[in-house]
Parts: sequence; C-alpha cells; structure tokens
Amino acid sequence: MSWVPNKQFVLWSLVSFSLITLSLPTIIIIGASFTAGDIIQFPPEGFSLRWYERLWHLEDFRQALLRTFIVSIICTLVALPVGTLAALATVRYRIRFQQTIQVYLLLPFTIPLVVSGIAMMIFFGEIRILGSLWPVGVALCLINLPFMIWSVTATVNGLDPELENAAYSCGAWPVQTFFSVTLPAVMPGVITGALLMFILAFNEFLVSLFLTDARTVTLPVQIYNSIRSVITPDLAAVSVLYIVIALLAIWLLDKTVGLEIFLKSK
Amino acid sequence: MTRQSVLWTLLDKVESVALTLWPMKFRGATGYLFIAPALLLVGILLIGLGYMMEYSLHELDTATYRLKEAYSFGNYLFFAEQPVYLRILLRTLLAATLVTFFTLLLAFPYAYVMVRTQSALVRKLLLVSLFLPFFIGQVVRAYGWLIILGQQGIVNTLLVKMGLPTLDLIYNYGAVIFGLVQYMLPFAVLLIVPAVTAISEDMELAAESLGANWIRTFRHVVLPMARPGLVGAGIVVFTLTMTDFAMPEILGGGTTDFIASAIYDSFFQLSNSGLGAALSMVLVAIGSLLVALVFWLTGAGTLSIRSEAP
Repeated sequence: MSWVPNKQFVLWSLVSFSLITLSLPTIIIIGASFTAGDIIQFPPEGFSLRWYERLWHLEDFRQALLRTFIVSIICTLVALPVGTLAALATVRYRIRFQQTIQVYLLLPFTIPLVVSGIAMMIFFGEIRILGSLWPVGVALCLINLPFMIWSVTATVNGLDPELENAAYSCGAWPVQTFFSVTLPAVMPGVITGALLMFILAFNEFLVSLFLTDARTVTLPVQIYNSIRSVITPDLAAVSVLYIVIALLAIWLLDKTVGLEIFLKSK
Repeated sequence: MTRQSVLWTLLDKVESVALTLWPMKFRGATGYLFIAPALLLVGILLIGLGYMMEYSLHELDTATYRLKEAYSFGNYLFFAEQPVYLRILLRTLLAATLVTFFTLLLAFPYAYVMVRTQSALVRKLLLVSLFLPFFIGQVVRAYGWLIILGQQGIVNTLLVKMGLPTLDLIYNYGAVIFGLVQYMLPFAVLLIVPAVTAISEDMELAAESLGANWIRTFRHVVLPMARPGLVGAGIVVFTLTMTDFAMPEILGGGTTDFIASAIYDSFFQLSNSGLGAALSMVLVAIGSLLVALVFWLTGAGTLSIRSEAP
C-alpha cells in the first residue's frame, strides 16, 4: 500500500492555517491600538492609551458611532416583527406560491450588494428621503432580512403545532396563544436573528456608502474614508471598538442560545 | 388589582382589537397577513431595480451630462465592445473561481474538525475564532491586513530590521484573493457544518474497517455525502466574491478593479448612470444564471430556506 499522510497532521495543518489567518488581523489591531508611537510598527513603541483618548475628542468619530448605533437599532427593530412573522408564515401557514415567495425573500442575498445599494439610493432619491438616518436602517434590514428569517425558521421547524392546538382547546384566543405559546417557543431563533441583524447592520459598509452623506455618515464608511488617506493608530482604536462589540455579541449568543446551535444539522 | 389581572385585562383588550381588525372569518388568510410586511420590504428592492433597468436603457448625452430621453441598447453594446470591461469581467470571474476553490479547501477541514472533535474546549475555540472575524466586518478586517502587509506594515518593518529588501504585499491581485478567502471562510464553514453533522461517523468507520485509508474514505464517502453543503457554500462564496467591492478597493488599491468597482466608477466617477445601470444588470444576470445552472445541475433545494437553516 502506498504511503498515506497522517490524517490528524493534514487536517490540523489546514485548520491551524485558517485559525491564524482568521485571528491575525484582530490580534494585530488590538496590539497596534495601544502603541505609544505615532505610527504602527513592530515591535510597538511602548504602551499607552493616548489613541483612545484622542479618539474620544474626535467629534466626527463620536457622531459616526452614535449614528451607527441608531441605524443598527432601527434595523433590528424592523427585522424583529417582519422576519419573525415571515418565518412563521412560510413554515406554519398554508400559502399559495410558497416556493416563489421563498425565492423572492432570498432576493436580498442573490442581488449583489453594490446593485441593491445603488438601486435603493435611486429609489430613496426619487421619493426624497435620502439624507435621513431611518431609510439607512430600513435598507440594512432589507439586505440582511434572510438571516433573520433563517434563524427563526430553524426554531419554528422544531415547534410542535400540537402545542398551539392545545392552547386553543383550553380556550385561549389567537393573540394570547401567539404571545404565550408560539413566541416563547421560537425565542432562541428570534434572539439569534436580532443579534445577527444588529451586528451586520453595525458592520455594513457598501450599502451605507451609497445611502449616507457627510451629515449621516456611519462608522464603517468613516473608517473606509480614513483608510484611504493615512493609516494612523487612532483607526486601530476605533477598530478595537468593533472587536469588543463582536466579542460581546458572541458572549451573548453563547449565553442565550449556545454557539453549538450552529453545529446542528437540520 | 394584581399584576396578573392587569395583564389579563390588557390581553383581552388586545384580543378584541385584533378581532375587530382581523375577524375570525379571515383566519385562513393569517399566513398572508404575516408574510405581507416582508414582501413589502423586499418590494423596495424590486422598485429600485426597476429604476435601474430603466436607466440602463438610456445613453448618456455628453453635451448635457444627462441621460437621453430615447430608449436604446447603447449601454449594453458599449459594454460588449469595450475590451476593458470584458477584461474586468474575466478578472472578476477568475478571482471568484480561485477564492471559491481556496475557501472550500480550508473551510471543509475546519468544519470537519469542528464537528468531529471530542474536546468541547477545542470546539469552542474553533467556533469563537470563526464568529469573531465574521462579526467584525470587512472594512475593519481589511484594515488589519493593511497594518500587517502594507508598504510600511509589520512584515516590511521586520524585513528592513533584518536587513532585507521590502516586499510589495498589497495592492495586487494576490492580496485581494487572500483577503477575500479570509473574508469568506466563516460563511463557508457555517454552510458546510450542517452537511458534515449529517454524516454518521459509523459510515467512515465502516469504510475504514473495509480497508479504505482516510483519503479514500474522504473521497468516496465523506465528500460525496457533504456535497449539498459544499455546493451551497460554493455558490455563496462565488457570488459574494464576484460582487465584492471593499476588498478589491482596499487591498487592491484600485489597481485590480472588479465589476463592482467598475459599476461604482460609472456612477460616481464618470457620472454615467446609464452605463453603471447596464453593468449592474449584466452582473445580476450572470449571477442569476450561475445560480440557476447550479440548481439545475445539482437539484433545487440546495439553498432553500428550509434545508439550510443554520
């Protein structure tokens, strides 16, 4: 029999490469944000918090951060009812053209972001709502909606319809059944979806690029514009903010539904 | 009144309002009521696309810098005749192919090890390492690579300290491919994981007890059984790469334009929204055709909401 490389060795070499590639930018950004020098170099020139302090005084970035929060919250608030109801409808209710509707609801994924972004820019421009923050939130919700529907659908599939029927036969009205049986049962999916929507909106760059202007610019667009000029350590400090929020979201996801949920097969 | 009874009265009120707005006889249509907001929201996208379709049929009047009134296919002809756009298209498609190949090559072992490992700690480490970059976003990740690979980046500073010449590690095709593979990896792993989970470990043991080594087991048992996940991940990675804007702009530095950059430039640099819209339509058409082709070849349902829910 011919020579066969060790399975664990081959697999772990590839996985280690992935692990390093995935984590390296994060680690380097964190390191760079604490440098005392004016440029980012290795080994870093001493430890200081001066870039964080400087950041706090940069009005532009603070405003952009605040706007990003507002936009992400709008996105999540819109996605919660819209996505949850849509997921319930596609799984639990008999609807004509089910297949067509599912394909239609996947349009935000299949249409390239650059096209969606410009398409919404044109439409919002025509109806004259460009320049305010809420259309940006709605747009970010629209392009990520399939994520919300996905995560809720996963839990709706696991919900036994007999539970709702039991509530009805015990004399519960529809609204009561919805809030005391259906909603609690699909809650893990709703929480996962809401978290994903918030994080994705917080990060979304391309669509925001088209829908914001100098007065409504959000943080990812602001970072992008700054990258194009000079790379200074204050950008690293901003990016650490993203890393902290990402860690927080992972922690929350792990506490509420458990990260292992993503390992289950359907 | 106790809190409980307040809640009950409130629920009764809500119930009666709901009944007035949505009488019992409409109950059969509740599904449509539930799906309507999502349909309307996605409708915004369709209206926008309608506008773009309309724009794409008007040529730019270079005298006034407005779109001409008359309808024509001029923008599409322009695209087909200009070698520069065909070159950009080919470059983009080649990049999408390369990124899909490398991403799947890395994502499959990652998903496999994550599912099969006995250690809960290792599994958690792999999961967190996957979600962290996924939640950080493309711009910040690209910025990280700029710090590492840039002209005055960490790698080059180290090279200079060791007395070696600096390297051009960014602003080229390879850097864009590398950045995109790193960006796509979490998507691909999360799409492959359900397929790997569905493969019973007994299957592999059976193959191995019949004398197959692990490579043959992979080739003839594991990979074919994981095919739905691999195809799904492949489609997602390919289409996302084909339409990406940030990586070619940031890590390519404008030297390696993809179609998305060409669309952006038509709108905002050339102020030719007709041409930009036509390019967008071409991009949508290529993407849809590819997805349809894969569905047709591998059977529908690969990406359907029900079978791929994470």
